[in-house]
Amino acid sequence: MLEVRNLYAGYGAVPVIEGVSLDVKPGEILLIGGENGAGKSTLMRAIAGFNKPTAGEVLLDGKPLQGMAPEQVAKSGLRLVLDGHRVFPELSVYDNLRMGVAARPSDDRAGFAQSVEEIYSVFPILKEKQKLYARDLSGGQQQMLALGQAFIAQPMVLLCDEPSMGLAQALLPSILAFLRKWAESGTAVVVVEQHLSVTAPYANRAMIIERGQVKFSCPASELDARLASSARQTAAAG
Amino acid sequence: MNTVNTMTARAGMAVEERAVKPRFNSDLPQLWIGIALIAITGLGPTLIGNTYWVHTFQLVNIYIAASVFQNFLFVDAGQKSFGQGVLLGIGAYVTAIAFGLHGMSFGVSALLGLGAAILGGLLFALPALRVQYFHLGFVTLSAAIVFPQLLMSLDKWTNGINGISIKLDWIHGDLFLGFSPLTLLVTLWPMATLATHYGLRRSRLGRQMRVAAVSPEAARTLGIKPGMMRFTAFIIAAIGTGICGILYLPATGYVSPQGFNVELSFVFFFAVVVGGRGQMLGPVIGIWIVFILPNIALAQFVEYRLLMYGVLTLAAIMLFPDGIVGSIERWRVKRGVTGRGEQAFRVDSFLEGLEGTQEHKPSDDVVVEVKGGTKRFGAVVAVDKVDLKVRNGEIHGLIGANGSGKTSLLNVLSGLSRLNEGSFMINRRDCTRLPADRIATMLGRTFQTPRIFPQFSLWENLKLGMDARTEAPSAGILRLAGELEAEFENDSAELLSHGQRRLVEVMRAVLKEADVVLFDEPAAGLSSSERENFAKLIRFLSRRMNKTIILVEHDLDLVWGIADRITVMEQGRVVASGDPASMATDPAVQHMFIGGRRA
Amino acid sequence: MLSEVFIIVVRGIAIGSIFALIAMSFNVTFGATRILNFAQGNLLIMGGFFAFFLANGVGLGWWVLMLLVAGGLIALFSAFQGWITLIPLRSSVEQDSWIISTVAVSVILGALMLITQGPFAYSVQGVVPPFRILGVRTPGAYALAIGALIFWYIALRLFMTRTFVGLAISALSQDFDAARAAGLPVRRLQLVSFAISGLLVGTAGFLVAPVISISPDAALRYVLNGFVAVVVGGLGSNLGTLIGGPLVGVVMMLTAYQIGGAYQDMASLLILVTILMIRPQGLFGRTSARQV
Repeated sequence: MLEVRNLYAGYGAVPVIEGVSLDVKPGEILLIGGENGAGKSTLMRAIAGFNKPTAGEVLLDGKPLQGMAPEQVAKSGLRLVLDGHRVFPELSVYDNLRMGVAARPSDDRAGFAQSVEEIYSVFPILKEKQKLYARDLSGGQQQMLALGQAFIAQPMVLLCDEPSMGLAQALLPSILAFLRKWAESGTAVVVVEQHLSVTAPYANRAMIIERGQVKFSCPASELDARLASSARQTAAAG
Repeated sequence: MNTVNTMTARAGMAVEERAVKPRFNSDLPQLWIGIALIAITGLGPTLIGNTYWVHTFQLVNIYIAASVFQNFLFVDAGQKSFGQGVLLGIGAYVTAIAFGLHGMSFGVSALLGLGAAILGGLLFALPALRVQYFHLGFVTLSAAIVFPQLLMSLDKWTNGINGISIKLDWIHGDLFLGFSPLTLLVTLWPMATLATHYGLRRSRLGRQMRVAAVSPEAARTLGIKPGMMRFTAFIIAAIGTGICGILYLPATGYVSPQGFNVELSFVFFFAVVVGGRGQMLGPVIGIWIVFILPNIALAQFVEYRLLMYGVLTLAAIMLFPDGIVGSIERWRVKRGVTGRGEQAFRVDSFLEGLEGTQEHKPSDDVVVEVKGGTKRFGAVVAVDKVDLKVRNGEIHGLIGANGSGKTSLLNVLSGLSRLNEGSFMINRRDCTRLPADRIATMLGRTFQTPRIFPQFSLWENLKLGMDARTEAPSAGILRLAGELEAEFENDSAELLSHGQRRLVEVMRAVLKEADVVLFDEPAAGLSSSERENFAKLIRFLSRRMNKTIILVEHDLDLVWGIADRITVMEQGRVVASGDPASMATDPAVQHMFIGGRRA
Repeated sequence: MLSEVFIIVVRGIAIGSIFALIAMSFNVTFGATRILNFAQGNLLIMGGFFAFFLANGVGLGWWVLMLLVAGGLIALFSAFQGWITLIPLRSSVEQDSWIISTVAVSVILGALMLITQGPFAYSVQGVVPPFRILGVRTPGAYALAIGALIFWYIALRLFMTRTFVGLAISALSQDFDAARAAGLPVRRLQLVSFAISGLLVGTAGFLVAPVISISPDAALRYVLNGFVAVVVGGLGSNLGTLIGGPLVGVVMMLTAYQIGGAYQDMASLLILVTILMIRPQGLFGRTSARQV
């Protein structure tokens, strides 16, 4: 579904991502980990069109995305949920969901209403607060809303940058469970997360980025073991 | 012995490299070209004996000088003024009133004119203390519209629409070789303004102004008051432009309200844009094009003048936004100036030989203390009733997941944001409501996204730390600064990787020698060898220089390797705090080791 | 005496309504693009010009038709100008080239008007007859100015809170990156905001043509007073313009009456400087939304 080939990207003259490749199939969750500053967010932003890649390819269902503006990328069916539970604070919860329609493939009112109902059933708190301004939600609720807005768009590929940022850790499993269900409906999902051990059980595969490059990738179930062995290697080398 | 050898070897290399390294910027050559061009146009017409050109270029050179100050305001101070013509007008008019209508001596009149121009400058400078950006654009434009109206309606003093004519014969007399005093004055003055601009740029004030213009936030953490910088810039520009006004009077012999309408201010502004914003030579080339082209070369189309200004400027901003000189300069930089790639900035070798052989130990004096600190953003609580004590000379690790409030806490401590509740003290002084620039006298910090200024060379980027000092530097710091200058004077900071940019900020904090230093994820993006160097540097700061350090970092190995005390944050709250050994077994930290570790 | 106060207040509010309309047109583009169009005053005068050339002394039906034509043309021009202004902002790190380009466009429009029409002010006959309130004869265009202000305030409010396009424009003013990630066509929305802003100020110029000075050099004065109104009210607050505009208008009328007409612009400059010194966020200015 999503194929990234040998991607290079950065800010100004400074490269941050150097030669990253990855692919995700429908129904699958790819977990991306790595230190702060390793380039995870830059990778997400480069795939979604916010940073122009200096080299490499981003293919969505075989069609190249690189060089497109972010809004076109979203329209093509790849939706990035930015880190930091970003919603439109001065719009109501319902209107925030409405904005999700912009990237929805078909403009059907019934389908929209149905998607909203699905979101409300997963996160009932959003229904309860649907008339409130998004600024009056807690961080966790804002993250739910941001995901809900992406869900409305029914993307083929969902990129989710650090859904846990600024939330109580206890909230993370319910968000991950939602992503799991979403993926199983045939969406390809990429999650960047710092809490690897909490996230790994929900993911199919995992990938670690270090200093702008792929350090290794493996089935999510083997992540702990691989991390432990690479930590030993580093210790031995140092 | 070995170290000495490598030191000399490195120094030798640096000399060789310096010999071939192109200049980081071309300000100095541009200054000399500018002075030469002004000399040719200022003195040339007299030598060939063309009175028309003598008169024309007197005015052109006065306008060049005014544009130099516009350029300084525009780029060095980051302020868009559409009212520089007003200041020139005030200088000219008040001199004319005193000299022409009240018969005072020209010297006294000129002083009055200058004083009035400075007062006029205050009108721009006072709002600049509070606001910036387009607000001042509107204030200055408004003044440019009001000024000629006032000249008309205050006719009791200004002679209204009739204007004021003056005669000042000595200034047009023959001093030698046919040069009149006026010719010499209006040739020397723009040269002096160019030199002043150059000097300001190389000065501490000039650097701080530019930092304040680009990043007010970083400026405040370096102890700079951005409003004060803007105020000062407007006053400097008012003095310079006022002197242009005084020279304008004998050059034209006549002032009238029509001479100082908004068009004049546009000429200076547009000249800077077309010539090249920020380039020393920009105003010279800009005035030649914007003023000479429509007024002299195409004089038969004089009514199309305004249209030409507008079209030229719009074309410049659309097609070559750096202006004429700027585009050439960019081409030169593209070909020549380079950094040194991946390993461009290493700090370790510079730290040898810094004084302070004695080993300091963290004492029990509390240097930073937060009591019940709470910071909210809307419904989101970023810092939640935090209590924190940091002792003198200790390295205090602050860890926690992304979004747990560490950076928000650092922002509070450095004065960039204010607590909603609670208080904090630095050196036993309540700093809860102190502005960032005041806190900066005690505290230095680095940012997650390093504040690197590409318009400065790598050395100047470091020197900002020296600029921010409140006390004279020690011999060791001076020697370190000297070495860094020799090494990085002509390097560009733009090509540094993010990790190295962080190190530049760290080094800046070292040069500043603040009592307390906050590091926000300094090791992110560093290689393992760079991390070791960084750890050495931190230990050096703490143990040798006796600095207190708060270190926000995700590399737990690094933190456990160097911290004396560790505080864990979660959801804006402090969940655990203690020495590294006890914290390693704390349940609040355990899950970070398994889950977040090597994250 | 009382009637003099009354005249000052009525005229002040009416003229102030024109400033408020310009202020609102600033708000529309500022929200979506962070750009304040310095040429906004020229667009107002352009509306006046259309009234002079297309609808001077015509019947009501033709006048309404021409109002729409003028509004539409100026909206188109404004969108085109927005397009030009946004081009350099797409690639460059530096985000304030708009100050230069909109001032340049303002100078170009003023110069074109000067070259083609000369420096004279044109007078336009009002289509709404003068009327008397409390015995004071008042030009009909004054009522139109106040009416247009109320109309546009309500229309913008409904548009921004009820329609998808309006909500989307509001969304992108709150978080530009999040709006792009959501797939909102941000460039098109920004051009729409320019068009609306042009439509607003263009129709305003057409309506109030009989009472404004339709001359090339008047444009800058109107744009500045509009800016003062928006600063007094608080940038981004349409409610603020309802207070800011009339306030500036009344102070200017008072100045004209007490000191002299030549000092009106001076008075508004002083208001501007005072507000910026004392309360830079304006009367209704909000502290900016949370930034992550």
